[in-house]
Amino acid sequence: MMYDYFSSIVSGITAKLEEDPHGIHARKRYALAVAALGQRLYSENARIAWCGVTAPFDLLNSMGVTSCFVEFVGAMLASTETAELFMQEAEDAGYAADSCAYHRAVTGAMLKSAMPVPDFIIGTSSPCTAGLAVMENMAKQYRKDLFVLNVPQSESPAAVRFLALQIEEMAGFVAGHTGQALSKNRLGEALELTNEATVLIKEIYGLAKQKPSPVDSRFLNNFGVVITLFMGTREGVDICRAFRDELSHRIATSAMDPSQERIRLMWVQNRIQFPFPMESMLGDSGAKIVVDELNDVTWEPMDPDNPFESIARRILSIPFSRNVDSRVAHLQELAREYQIDGAINPCHWGCRQGTGVRGIISNGLREIGVPVLNLEIDCVDSRNLAKGQIQTRFEAFTEMIQG
Amino acid sequence: MYFLGIDIGSLSCDAVLIDESKNVVASSVVPTGVRNLEAIARVTKDVLEQSGISEQDIASTISTGYGRTRVANRDGAVTEITCHAKGIQEAVPGTRILIDIGGQDSKAIHIGENGNVMDFAMNDKCAAGTGRFLEAMARALEVDILDLGELDRGAQSDLVLSSMCTVFAESEVVSLIANGTEQREIARGMNRAIASRTFSLVKRVAREIDGLTISMSGGVALNSGVVRALRESLKTDTIHIPERPDTIGALGAALIARERNA
Ligand code: SF4
Repeated sequence: MMYDYFSSIVSGITAKLEEDPHGIHARKRYALAVAALGQRLYSENARIAWCGVTAPFDLLNSMGVTSCFVEFVGAMLASTETAELFMQEAEDAGYAADSCAYHRAVTGAMLKSAMPVPDFIIGTSSPCTAGLAVMENMAKQYRKDLFVLNVPQSESPAAVRFLALQIEEMAGFVAGHTGQALSKNRLGEALELTNEATVLIKEIYGLAKQKPSPVDSRFLNNFGVVITLFMGTREGVDICRAFRDELSHRIATSAMDPSQERIRLMWVQNRIQFPFPMESMLGDSGAKIVVDELNDVTWEPMDPDNPFESIARRILSIPFSRNVDSRVAHLQELAREYQIDGAINPCHWGCRQGTGVRGIISNGLREIGVPVLNLEIDCVDSRNLAKGQIQTRFEAFTEMIQG
Repeated sequence: MYFLGIDIGSLSCDAVLIDESKNVVASSVVPTGVRNLEAIARVTKDVLEQSGISEQDIASTISTGYGRTRVANRDGAVTEITCHAKGIQEAVPGTRILIDIGGQDSKAIHIGENGNVMDFAMNDKCAAGTGRFLEAMARALEVDILDLGELDRGAQSDLVLSSMCTVFAESEVVSLIANGTEQREIARGMNRAIASRTFSLVKRVAREIDGLTISMSGGVALNSGVVRALRESLKTDTIHIPERPDTIGALGAALIARERNA
């Protein structure tokens, strides 16, 4: 049933794209890739791995494994307004109603047998150990093997070695489950494709920094996190190129209205995943989100001759894998580069990353003159959100910035 | 020329009419009820009658509060945060920290020396510690809400009610009564619960409050028990309460209407 659902989305978007074969349609191409991933996940003969957010998807792609981080499923369920049913299932089974709703949704989907059964599971201790607990639950429920990548909080040579060894070991674990040994050549090619995509991603972010920015609040929503799923593939490169081209086109045709950008905002951590009129709420005050914390390239190009170490370096460079000081320094850097006027931190319910360091993040940004709006909202569970309350906070924040 | 500010809150709907020199010429407060359009019409009619002017004499109207977009003939809608900050500057000049506790919102606003909002924090998850909370507590204690303010006189204990949830706090009150806890001790516990929630809002907008003028607006400012508990928790001798704390939002809206029309 789910396979048919994704197949119909794939056919629908493909037909739309065929109507305008020369159009760029970045978001549509991205949506097509996501639907095709859903289709692969539910196809009978695919090798499936459920993973943590920072798993090396290029390596897994090179080994012919269809892989996805579980939080993505939570986000998808929220965006299609089906998460509630699954969260309720998880809560009925005893999961705390104030735990991270990405995990509650995916746990409910697992309990309701709505998720494809994986061949194995790759957990990561970053960005959060809550995700790891979901992986452990999954391993028990599906009776599948779990491999955990323990991601240290520093980028020291010892940490790089420690993680690189685990990644190499993980490749052996994957090969043991697929019956297909890692091909150094195929991995090398995948890393070259990752590099090609990364160059384009840097260009995308470079264009987004311009003033006025060619992005609208929605354009790069979830981009930095989701694109990792397509790393190491030609499809990933093509999506990135479409995004780059669309932004270049917008700049060339002066498509962006500077009056829509009186206030440039940064969004901290994850966006609201269910349908919510955030853009129009902000847009009414001439505010728009030009950068997300999770949209950045913080790593050096991958070295195909030294794959495990470069993948390890990449994972360790992600500010979310590191301590709060690195995270604050990164946010400050983004704030300066994108010349933002204010930041919004949703402080997603049940997320230690989001709520635990809220004060430190606020102080760090205020130190460089960036006001912060701290919300306390659930980005996945729409039952926990009062629209009017959020609207008042957005409006008051923009009024405050405008003085 | 006159300027009208209308604040449509969850419990009350307030209007303030000012003249060109910022003098308050009329004001009205009515319960919002379930039909906020009727409440808006009533306060508008009230201020027109009190001042003896006609609607055409109103040069500009700004609405605020959660129902701000319900005012049909408004010239603009501004959030209650900005309006309260503006209003308190007029009522208590020099205010740097404003605590506003209304029907279902409580907020702390840090105001800069120039009178602009520097930061604000609001209750997010629940209405505990707001006017609605006090209504529920008055019900549980079987007293009139207007008598709640003096109910804690002479209480000494360190009791603090649950400040997480209005419903839980209400049942806590019922069991305290059943256990024979004195009414004044319960009232003090309730005030301390509100103060502790508000304290954390204030700390979120200003780490240091020493030497800053602190004022309070919103209907709950009329409850002397809450104000006493707040003074205790903020370790301050003075919290300035304007003459009409319940109409500060509407006053701010009227002042903004005047500024925008300048
Ligand atoms: S939102 Fe927080 S708790 Fe949830 S998956 Fe992300 S990091 Fe983990």
